Amino acid sequence: MFPILIKKIGAGLLTTLGVSIVIFVGTNLLPGDAAQIRLGQASTEDSLRALREELGLNLPLYQQYFRWLFNFVQGDFGTSLASGNVTIAQLISDRYENTLIVSSLTAMIGVPISVGLGIIAAMFPGTLYDRILTLGSVTLVAAPEFFTATLMVLFVVFFLGIGNAVVVGSIEDKNLVELITHFILPITTLCLVIAAQLIRMTRAAVLNVMSSPYIEMAILKGIPRRRVVMRHALLNAIGPIVNVVAINLAYVVTGVIVIEVYFGYSGLATLIVQGVQTRDYILIQTLGMIFCATYVILMMIADLSSILSNPRLRHPK
Amino acid sequence: MSRTNKGPKILGEFDFSNLRLHEQQKVINAVRKGATRRDIMTWMMAAGASATTGGAIFSSASAAWANTPKRGGRLVCAGDQHGPADTLDPILCTASVDYWRGRMFYGKLVRLKDDLSWEPELAEEVLVNADATKWTFKIRKDVEFHNGKTLNADDVVYTLKRHLGADTKSIGKSQMDMVSEVKKINEHEVEVNLATPNADLVNSLGTFHFNVIQDGVTDFSTAIGTGPYRCKEFKPGVRTVGTPFENCWHGPGYMDEMEHFGIGDPVSRLNAFLAGDVDMMTNLPGKAVKQVEAAAGKDVWSIESGRYTSIVCHQGVSPSNNRDLVRAMQLCMDRTRIVKGELKGLGSVGNDQPINKAYFDYSPDIPQRPLDLDKAKYHFEKSGIGSTAIPIIAAEVSQAATFQCLALQREAKKIGMNIDVQKVTTDGYWGAVWMQGSPFNVTTWNMRPTANIMMTLAYKGDSNWNETFWQSDKFDKGLVDVRGVTDAAKRKQMYHDLQMDIHENGGSITPAHLNYTDGVASNVKGLTHVPLNNWGGAEAPPFIWKDA
Repeated sequence: MFPILIKKIGAGLLTTLGVSIVIFVGTNLLPGDAAQIRLGQASTEDSLRALREELGLNLPLYQQYFRWLFNFVQGDFGTSLASGNVTIAQLISDRYENTLIVSSLTAMIGVPISVGLGIIAAMFPGTLYDRILTLGSVTLVAAPEFFTATLMVLFVVFFLGIGNAVVVGSIEDKNLVELITHFILPITTLCLVIAAQLIRMTRAAVLNVMSSPYIEMAILKGIPRRRVVMRHALLNAIGPIVNVVAINLAYVVTGVIVIEVYFGYSGLATLIVQGVQTRDYILIQTLGMIFCATYVILMMIADLSSILSNPRLRHPK
Repeated sequence: MSRTNKGPKILGEFDFSNLRLHEQQKVINAVRKGATRRDIMTWMMAAGASATTGGAIFSSASAAWANTPKRGGRLVCAGDQHGPADTLDPILCTASVDYWRGRMFYGKLVRLKDDLSWEPELAEEVLVNADATKWTFKIRKDVEFHNGKTLNADDVVYTLKRHLGADTKSIGKSQMDMVSEVKKINEHEVEVNLATPNADLVNSLGTFHFNVIQDGVTDFSTAIGTGPYRCKEFKPGVRTVGTPFENCWHGPGYMDEMEHFGIGDPVSRLNAFLAGDVDMMTNLPGKAVKQVEAAAGKDVWSIESGRYTSIVCHQGVSPSNNRDLVRAMQLCMDRTRIVKGELKGLGSVGNDQPINKAYFDYSPDIPQRPLDLDKAKYHFEKSGIGSTAIPIIAAEVSQAATFQCLALQREAKKIGMNIDVQKVTTDGYWGAVWMQGSPFNVTTWNMRPTANIMMTLAYKGDSNWNETFWQSDKFDKGLVDVRGVTDAAKRKQMYHDLQMDIHENGGSITPAHLNYTDGVASNVKGLTHVPLNNWGGAEAPPFIWKDA
């Protein structure tokens, strides 16, 4: 077990380093630099040169990259190029709470419900319940999230007349229930988005196992269907389910730009888009690393749990 | 407010609130600008109302204006795009979100009024010598900063000097280019000496980048100013919160708390405004104006402004330096369609020059260039371009920026002109496309406080932003000479000639001027109407209040 862990961590670190280079090169391929974007229409040769020198944009690219890397591994995230005097740590700390709260609440509420619904659908394939659930989740998979979000606002805020169309106000001193109310629309929308995939994948994974010979044997032995699914099939289906859950959670942390923009609250996904718009490579790099690490760690957990749940992988020959 | 049907009106029963909201706004605007009862009556009668009606409107408009401010409450203001670049440093402010925030926390030497004249603020007296080369500012004595320090000449000198020198990062640098020296005369007097005359200097000092900060400040993580609100919280791209500053020299701000943040997406911003989550929103989409007018308790806050969008014809390269081609394109421009269709009437027709009637020095005697395909065809044939494609690089840098190109393309096709509209992203547009040598591209300009500043920035031969690369010694000389002219008639004639020169010989196709159109809840009062930016030129924070 231990050597596998070491190997996974090593691969994760290498991936992260590779990603940092790709992001840096990509950012520099974009037209304009942070100084030019910041001064915009009002830039002159002189003011551009002054600002570039101040931000260190006059250095050769590889030097900029290594300077960033050197500071980053020492834990110094640097200062935002777009503002010139706000630290990256400050920008992130103003936003990570929003992202963290929304993603963990979504995970807490969305994942158990969807996996549960998926398993029930797998227990009774072909029934009316299964059909309704399948139809519902296919519809949700096909609907883009801004559409789901728009419908939510239209129905909840303008039709029922409750809640806010955007997330307004501060999250300080709020308890769990207040936080859920505060972010109710983004969380509901995200739950619907991930539920669609999770339900379908759980159902498929469980049904797949259900068609294997050992389950047939169990059924023939007269074990009740519920016990067959929960005790014999589910354990073997955990691997694929955990993988889908991990991918969806990573998405909820890093890819919810549409939700953040639509509901007007600031999170990390919006921040990286603003970083790209302002060509703030230091900000982009740092966030890129955070997102990459999130993926790597979640994937690692998924891999490890599928190994742990499967004796054949746990004890390789 | 409910929309009422506009049938024949009964004498004396006319109610001010029967007007459409933007018409109300217009009347209030006029009253604020000093229109008399007679003016309003003439204006209304011209519009078909009776004499009594006109009088009634004047009364209710005056009442609307003279409402006594109340203290207390919470104002939530939603700007547009915000992000890590948000700043509290006056010299780096670039967006309307920065301007509003700046006005909450800081004061300026002078304040611009709705008609773009100025009145003293932190300077209690402004003196200028006969040829406008020496300005003296007497600094108000009883002004306190948020940290308790008293304002003196050192603070003002430090503030102004940050705009000077080759390596300044100031956005307002060009407006201070002619300043040769800023010096402290005594504790409460500052002298500014100019290398060349500039009678507009004081107007510049009333704009966004000249907020007065404390001597020696380099950290802008919070704002220590003299403004009506203290900075309680400033998180770039998240939110800004202000609370009243009790010792503000002109009295603390009226709101108990003013929260300000951006909602980048226009649809979400509108949703938030209509649902009542925010009290005011910036940049109301044209399509939403009717919806907002019809909604209860929501008003349109629209101000006619000189800002514009236009197509730049580079005068230094072919084919855009072909005068006949430029004229043909100008004549193919369907201006009314842009103003009525794309801007939903919230704008005014442009005349291929940057100055419109929002400016003091506007000349009304320049004939409006019409849509005239016959004349256009004549010039187009003379230009000898034929069916060669004419590329225009377009990005939606402002409302109607792309639409104007498409409107032109549509009309031009009828006379055989082959216009190729190349759409690019707005992201990085100013560095990658604008003034990078392409013959035709779109541009947009915010209104400047005076016609001279505007024309100097965008048309003077040696300006860094002479986007059309137009060189005319006669124009440049006129522009500089007029700055020292004090005779009203002569000044008027000179400004007419300058505007006529751009209209006839310049390289701009300017189809439309854009209003600043925002949304505001009806119970928010004390609005300003300075046409330089959104939310009344971001001049409202000292005055704004909320009725219960």
